[in-house]
Amino acid sequence: MSRPQKLLLLLGLLALAGCATTTPTNIAGGGTQLETRQIQTREYDTLDKAMTLRSVIASLQDLGFTIDQADAELGTVTATRLDQYTMRMTVTVVQKEGERISVRANARIGENAVMDAPTYQDFFVVLDKAMFLTLHKVD
Amino acid sequence: MRRAAYSLLMVASLYGCATPGIPESALRLPESTLDIRSIQTRTVEASSELNILTATVAVLQDMEFNIDRIEKPLGVITASKVSDADDKSQKTGLFFLDMLCAMGGGGNGCDASSTAKDDQHITLTMVVLPNPARAGEYKVRITIQRVIYDKLDRILVLERIDTAETYQAIFDNLRKSLFIQEGNS
Repeated sequence: MSRPQKLLLLLGLLALAGCATTTPTNIAGGGTQLETRQIQTREYDTLDKAMTLRSVIASLQDLGFTIDQADAELGTVTATRLDQYTMRMTVTVVQKEGERISVRANARIGENAVMDAPTYQDFFVVLDKAMFLTLHKVD
Repeated sequence: MRRAAYSLLMVASLYGCATPGIPESALRLPESTLDIRSIQTRTVEASSELNILTATVAVLQDMEFNIDRIEKPLGVITASKVSDADDKSQKTGLFFLDMLCAMGGGGNGCDASSTAKDDQHITLTMVVLPNPARAGEYKVRITIQRVIYDKLDRILVLERIDTAETYQAIFDNLRKSLFIQEGNS
């Protein structure tokens, strides 16, 4: 290939690169579904969805969140904490078969999703206590 | 030399892929939890949950909040407002700083006044829980947070309000509002 031909090819490639469409990034998230669900979910032996939701709200308040919205019917609570950084959490409470309730939490700090298991374990430690207190009508 | 340059390039490219760390104690209860909970919580008596929620909404309106959402079955009320966060002493200090800077030949670069507090966006959540053991008794918990912006709409402060006086003033107003509400119903 002669030198002018090479130059022409290079120019053509550059022009094509300019036409490339860019796919919007970071919309669908990057985690594997099953793994993410496992670390974000815990099940409780109870039938009381409303009580579980109230325990979720109490736990979030203890952790310094304010509640942005709560829906008893759908079982979702969304909360925000402003403390040097912004942390947002959505917790869903779903009635399962066999008198069990599943609680799933997901959190974001600023523009990053929280994906590490220990942080969710910490949340469920707080929720476990709140569930115990509410179930036994203490507090 | 070339090897060192390659190593540097590798480290730099890896750094670009690193995800910022999650604060280790992000979802752990701080030691001050019980103190803060007691500052934010009061037990009140009312003839019905509806009465206490109505009285709460009235108090929030008295305090010039807008009600964003109410979820009655869970007793959750979320309200917010934007108010002035001007701090006169801070403004005076920054004004003198700008003057000193200008006298020192800073020219257009002297713009400390733009970092003064301008407005604050306050979010408040009130949760009303009936006491299952005693009819007519409710536990009310309030949490408040705010973001303070400067004159150029940059975030200056993100914080939870923990001052006992603030919550006490709101609970005093709530008791008065509840008294009026109970009298009307």
